[in-house]
Parts: sequence; structure tokens; C-alpha cells
Amino acid sequence: MIARLYRPFVMSLVLVSPIACASSEPTSAEQNAAVPLGVDLGGSGPVLASAQPQAPAEAMLVSAQAAAPQHSGEMQMAHAGQNDAHGTGTVNSVDPTQHKINLSHQPIPEIGWPAMTMEFPVAPSIDLKGIKPGTRVNFTIEQGQGGMYEIKAIAPAGGGR
Amino acid sequence: MSTARVLTLIAAFAAFATSSAAQTPVTDGETASMPRTKTGSDVQPVMDQAIFAHVLFNEFEGRWNGSNSEFRWDGQGWVGTDYDRLWIKSEGTLQGNGTLEDGQQQFLYDRAITTYFDLQGGLRSDIDSRPTRNWAAFGIQGLAPYFFDLEVTGFVSGEGHLAAKLEASYDLLITQRLILQPQLELNVYSKADPARLVGAGFSDIDTGLRLRYEFNRKFAPYLGVVYEGRFGQTANFARQAGESTGDFRFVFGIRAWF
Amino acid sequence: MKAFAPPLALTRRRFMQGAVAAGALSFVPRSLRTALAAPAPVLSGTEFQLEIGAVPVTINGRQTTATGVNGQVPAPILRWREGDTLTLAVTNRLSEPSSIHWHGVRTPSAMDGVPGLSFSGIAPGETFVYHFPVHQSGTYWYHSHSMFQEQTGLYGAIVIEPKGGYAQAFDRDYVVLLSDWSFEPPERIVSNLKFQSDYYNYGQRTLGTFLDDAQRKGLADTVADRLEWGKMRMSPTDILDVSGATYTYLINGHGPGANWTALFRPGERVRLRFINGSSMSIFDVRIDGLPMTVVQADGNDVAPVTVDEFRISVAETYDVLVRPTADRAYTISAQAEDRTGYARGTLAPRPSMAAAIPPMDPRPMRTMADMGMGSMQQGSMPGMSHGPMQGMAMDHGSMSAMSSMEASPEAKKLQGSVGVDNLAMVPTERLQSAGEGFPPGRRVLSYVDLRALKPGSDPRPPSHEITLHLTGNMERFIWGFDGKKFSEAGPIELKRGDRVRFVLINDTMMEHPIHLHGLWSELDNGHGEFRPYKHTINVKPGERLSYLVTADEPGRWAFHCHLLYHMETGMFREVHVA
Repeated sequence: MIARLYRPFVMSLVLVSPIACASSEPTSAEQNAAVPLGVDLGGSGPVLASAQPQAPAEAMLVSAQAAAPQHSGEMQMAHAGQNDAHGTGTVNSVDPTQHKINLSHQPIPEIGWPAMTMEFPVAPSIDLKGIKPGTRVNFTIEQGQGGMYEIKAIAPAGGGR
Repeated sequence: MSTARVLTLIAAFAAFATSSAAQTPVTDGETASMPRTKTGSDVQPVMDQAIFAHVLFNEFEGRWNGSNSEFRWDGQGWVGTDYDRLWIKSEGTLQGNGTLEDGQQQFLYDRAITTYFDLQGGLRSDIDSRPTRNWAAFGIQGLAPYFFDLEVTGFVSGEGHLAAKLEASYDLLITQRLILQPQLELNVYSKADPARLVGAGFSDIDTGLRLRYEFNRKFAPYLGVVYEGRFGQTANFARQAGESTGDFRFVFGIRAWF
Repeated sequence: MKAFAPPLALTRRRFMQGAVAAGALSFVPRSLRTALAAPAPVLSGTEFQLEIGAVPVTINGRQTTATGVNGQVPAPILRWREGDTLTLAVTNRLSEPSSIHWHGVRTPSAMDGVPGLSFSGIAPGETFVYHFPVHQSGTYWYHSHSMFQEQTGLYGAIVIEPKGGYAQAFDRDYVVLLSDWSFEPPERIVSNLKFQSDYYNYGQRTLGTFLDDAQRKGLADTVADRLEWGKMRMSPTDILDVSGATYTYLINGHGPGANWTALFRPGERVRLRFINGSSMSIFDVRIDGLPMTVVQADGNDVAPVTVDEFRISVAETYDVLVRPTADRAYTISAQAEDRTGYARGTLAPRPSMAAAIPPMDPRPMRTMADMGMGSMQQGSMPGMSHGPMQGMAMDHGSMSAMSSMEASPEAKKLQGSVGVDNLAMVPTERLQSAGEGFPPGRRVLSYVDLRALKPGSDPRPPSHEITLHLTGNMERFIWGFDGKKFSEAGPIELKRGDRVRFVLINDTMMEHPIHLHGLWSELDNGHGEFRPYKHTINVKPGERLSYLVTADEPGRWAFHCHLLYHMETGMFREVHVA
């Protein structure tokens, strides 16, 4: 069987694999690698315009008494998701036509990001007029549908300049 | 001469059996990996005609009656598909003095005919320290209502003598692993065979109560008591030969299958 | 032989935590080393390279070899988008043929991945390129359709993002892929079952249970009950053919002690995509202290329904939303239906938190309703006596004397045949029952709770009906449809564009998750045109149910029970859409 063929390799791999995996650990919010963590595929992003706002029904109780469905109201259409992270950085450039900002930001531990320079689309409701290149800003990003992070809030840091 | 007639009977049965046998592509379900597939249209999405093989030792025990001991085995093995199998049954008792008694070996073709029962046919050979006898064998084997394991087989010798054998057992679960098994084997013959110390009519009974502990399903040591009894003419022959006609023995053995 | 320890003991075992984490990512085949810096748990895009190979893994601290994809068990999560056209190059690095079937994903039949029907399989060393457009969204999964590779680890999740957006908002999203793992080779499992079909059942009736029952119900009742079942040569303790006696139940490839954790921030809405990717195990899933709102079944939106627990049969998927508001951990537990083990994970705000593992529920028992003797008692408790049935003679021979219990002519032909050990004389319609084994007071999902969010796309009534009996012989471990194995029967023929009703009658006393490839099964559950679209339908013992199918995709489609060892011993058919 395959098991017998691989047995000699398994012992060496057991030694190698923790080392190999330590260097290739998928990014996770916290650094504790002892417990396997689920891979978060992100928030839902904007929901269907036609999504039903009514309360969910309830399954019947097993003792065969038909319980009146209780209204929980939790699953109603709500404001956008809370899958957001916060960061600080310096604005490099602003593109008003595409509504994008290029930033150099500090590490964002909430999502395991190191310091980077990158471009973000900005939520349409945000006014980019007050954001100038060179401004230090605090911002909130949210992962949308398809995995892209988008800035949903941005303000000059430390009272601005 | 008589052997030839026995073999003719078996050949006739075998011809009948093979003509009714379902087609069985030779695919091994017991060992791993490769189904023997060729290209394209010969590939099947599921291989539900796999061949399996198993061997069971129901009795593999030392028997002790306080003064002498003997060793007995009773096992079966089969290979085949859901419908058609080749079946071997073997039993025998080895006496302390080295003689082999009650050596019944059967080589059968087995066909599943109903939900719980198989039809079997083939050859029985009595091979032990006494003169060898050959018989054609026909019978059924299966699970009777209330979970009794049942084997009923009839035999015809070359000279036209008849014999029959009934084996039954039941598994009573005391716990999930501790199982009490009453068991019975009964032999009947139409004609006496003095050379084999066998008389006409109900000949002998071998019945026991065995308590086994299943460490795993395939390996279960057991303790028990058995009664070996002889009746009628067989009892006479036994007395003349200086053997006992009824014997209680303690047994210790292993029930194993694989 | 693995002795089964009570639930709490498992958490005190020392597990090689690091090795368990590494277990899912242990071995990267040399050829992929250059391509992958590290095995990626999620693959997205439109072009994929998948390599099937042997993967050394560690499960519950024990090393073994599994069948994985890209060096991982479970296989990587594939993230697709509705509307994309995909190219998936699958290379087989095993020494035996392999295949990948995209379960629940509608593809042209040549891309469906069933050797013998879609194509001839992927030979060792070969690469097969799947190419198809995706016209649906939701949670699905993929697995091998060759021999027993699905049992040895070749399964993974598929998440298809909807084009227009989700119907409900959520903040986090986790795949929860449940599976069963045995250290015994699957060929040996089938061989064991062929010799002794109750090989893995360590919950049988004994002298001990006889005395217990006699004390509770009285000696006469208990004796009558034992005789009733004994005469049929059946056991009411037959729940799952392969149990925790050999299985370790896994959550995303991790055993119960590994404490697989999904993180959340209190107040967030978390989507959990439950997939039953096991071979033989039906799970009862609940999160102690947290109700779940079911929003999708088999990848399709349903009207949200809140439950405490749901039973997920092999190959089914349920997407649920939960909203944990407290800053604490919650245990996700998936008990095997026969209560011989469980898979367990944690929902927590931080890693290394764990909540108490609730004790397993009592083991269910089969009832006379499961034997198809009629629904005398709905939702009976485990061990309940079949009171009203006592007076009736249970002899199959005298069955025909009772006009209400007359078997149909085609069923009568099956009686006593090698492939059939029972016929449901009075199959019951009981979609509203969640099944046996749930304590009272819990809200458990049943099929009548599933109501599609939008009406079906084909409003036509069916033009004809196809009735199939789910049959089997437990003693011989033969399973089939209408008393026949796959090799003994021909294909079911449909014409392209047909609208047909399938009627399934389960003559056996076990659940069978019936899966039709390539076409949607619209379950008739009382919601009219809002009947749910499913790909796998769990038929309960003694149950009769029906579903509508529009044969809108031509080809040779597999149709089978998704219990792997039932499928491989005959419970399989071809549905040919010409």
C-alpha cells in the first residue's frame, strides 16, 4: 500500500513540515499557530437590492408542538458589514476621477498586513476634497465582494496640519 | 468406479451452476488500487461485482475431558462475488494419540438464491486416519429467522448411500464484546460404515456452549463446554473400539476470521 | 481496535498541536515546489492547477497517508465567481486512475468527472483539463469519483460568489467541511462489511439492554419486541454502517482535539458553510448556546429559518448565519447520527479559546415506521415501545392479508430476492419529521422548512413519473435500486426537455442521500413553486418522497446513493438524457 511506501518519508517530513509550515503560515489575525484557524473568506459586501427584510421563520420544536415562529429581527437588512480594519498612513496621491487613493500605511495587525504602499478604491460617499498628498490620515478599510479592500472612512490624523 | 460416479454427479452440477452464474469480471475488491480497466467504454463508474475472500475458524480449540485431550478445528473459507462463490469447509479432530477423526472436508460451489440463503453443491471428502470416503454434497446455508446460523447438507456416496448433516449456531450478546454461542452439529447416515465407526441412523452429535470475548471482530478467544455424543449403531461401534459414547469436554480456543 | 472514549476524555488527550496544524499542509509535491511557496488553502481566479497525489497527514496525533490535492487534505477551497468560465487542469500523481467531480455544479456532461459516464477517468500521470462556465452561486464541494479516494481524503469546498450579491449581509465567512477518516484501508472496510455487516456496530442489543427494557416496559413487551425484530432478521440498532469504531470525525481536516477555530468579533454576523464531505456519516450539527439561521441549502437560497440543530446527510450543504454577541467561545459540534463520535470546532473571539463540549445526545433506534410498517408514532423517542403495533402479526407472509399493508405488484416480485431484505409495506410521507434521535425542545430543521427564495424556473407540471425503490440486503451488504445493482440494470432514459417526477420509496431501514448529477432535483415539500432546488436528497427509512426534474442538460448522468460503500456495492444508476 501507499502507506508502506511513504513511511520512510513520513518520519523525515514530520521533522521538516513544522519548519516548512512555520514559514508559510497563512496570514491570520493573531499569531498563535498552535490552534488551526479557519480561513475567513470575508464579508458579504453590498447585498441584493431585492433581499427580503422579513424575520426568519423557525423550525418546529422536536416534541411536535408547533411553536409560533418567534420574531428575532436580527437578520433584517442592516447597514454594511463590520468586517473592517483600521490603519494609519500618509497619502501619496489622490485620483478624483477613479475615486482612488494611494497610501503608504503602517502595519495593520487586525488583518495581518505589514507596512505597505498601495492603492485603495474609496467608497463613493466619501468626499476626497480634503485629502491632499502628504497628509497623514487615519482610515478604515473594509473587504468587499471579491476580496478587494475599500476605504470607507478617512480623516486627517492628529488634528491635521 | 464409485469415485467416478461421484465425480460425474459433481461435473453435472457444476455445468448447471456455471450456466446460471452471473457474469463476473475479475476485479479484486479485497486488495487495494487498480481496477483492471481498459480504455474508454470498459471503464465502469462503480465496480459492484468485486470478488471478496474470507476464511473463518469457528472452532479452533483444545478439548479436555479430565483424562485426555484432543484438538478440533472447524472452519470455512470462500472466494467469489455476491452471487457465486467457491466454498471450502473443513473440520477434524486430532486425538492425543495422533489419529485424526471426523475429518470432513467439503469443496462446494455456492450460489446466493434468496435474501438469506445460499444453495451449495460439490464434493465432500472424509479424509482422516480412517478410510477415505467421497460424497456428492448438496445443501443450503444461511441465516434463519431469529438470527440462527444454519447449514443443512445432504450427501450421496458413489454406492448410493445417503447422509445428512445439520449445523446450527446462535450468537447471544451478553455485552458488545462478550458473546455466548450455543452450537450444534448432527450427522445422519443411511448405511453403516464400520471401517469409519459410523452406524446407520442418527450417528453423532457435537454440541457446545462457547463464551468468547471479541478483542476485535476478527480475533476472539473463548472458553466453553462441549458434548460429543454417539447414538445407536455408531455408539455400538464406539464401544467395541473402546471409545466413549458420550463425552463432556472443556474447550479453550480462538475464533478468528480474516 | 480503537476503544471509544467518552467525549470529555478526548479533550484531555495530548495532541501534537503543531503537527495537527501542519497535518493539513504537510507535503508539497516536488513538482509544485517551484510553483507554490506554500500550499494555499484558498485558490481563486479562473485558471486552476490541481495536482492529486498521496499526502502524508497527521490525524489525532497519528501519521498516515491520505489522498490530497496540491499537498492538502482537505483539498484547497476553490473560490469561483458566478458568470466566469473556468479552466481547471487536474494532474493525477497517484498510481491508480482518479477523477474529480464538481458536486452540485452544473457542467456539460463531459466535465462532470464520473469515470465511465463523463469520461474515462484521469490515468496516472495524465492531466485532464476541465473547462466550463459557471451559472450558479453558493456553497458546493468537489471530490474524487474513483474507487474509494473520496474516503482517503480527496474532497474540498467550492465557494461561488453570487453575481448580484448575497441575499443577507454578513461580516465573516468560513467553510466548515465535515468528513470521516479511517486508518483502515477502505477496501478492507467493505470487505469486513461483506463478511459481517454489523462489524462496526458496537451499539447492538445485548442481554444488558434486554434487562433494561424488561425493567422499563415489562418482560412480555420486551420479549415480543425482540421476537418481532428477530423474525425479520433485522436490528433496530443499525444506524450507520461504518461508525466511530473506526472513524475519526474531522472538521476541515482536523480531529476533535485540534480545536479548529473560526474567529469573530462579538456582534458580527458569521456565515458558516457546512458541507458534509464524508463517505458514510450523517451528522447532527449544532452550536451550543447559539441558534443558527439557515439561509442556503445545497447552494440555493432558502427563506431564512432559525434552528438549534440540523441533520446534514452525506454530500448535502447548509449555509447558516450566526450572530454571537457575547465575548466567549462557542462549540460547533457535529455528532455522528449513531452517537459514536463527533467532529468539533470552536467559534471564538480569540484563538486558543474553547467552550464546553456538550454531551452527545442519546443514540436513536429504528422504529417500525422505519421498516415501512406505517407511521404509527411520529418522532418516537429512542427505546420507545411500538405499542400500537404489538397486536398486529408482523409476519411478512401474513402481510398480504391486511389490505392496507398490501405490497404493490412490482414490489412483490422483489420479495425474497438476493438484493432485498425488506419492503416498506406502508411507506410514509414524513418530510416534516427531522428524524430520530433529537431530544424534545430543540428546533431541528426538516425538509418542509426549506422554501426557495424565488420560484422555480420551470413552471410545467411533470409529464410522467419514475418510481424507484431504494433497496438493500444488509446481511449480504448489497445495495441497489429496485432490487438490482448497477451492473444488473440499464440506464434510466429521459428526453431532453422532459419534466419528470422521481418518486423514491425507501424499502431499507437506513437513510440514503440520493444524488442526481447534472440536473436539479426540486423537492416536493408542500411549497408549490417555491420548492427547494437540491442536488442531494436524504430519504429516511420507510419514507416516500418525490421531486421534479427538468432534463435540460444532455448526457449520461450518475444517479446514486452518496454513501460511498452503498454506491460501490451497487446503489448506482445512469440517468441518460438524450
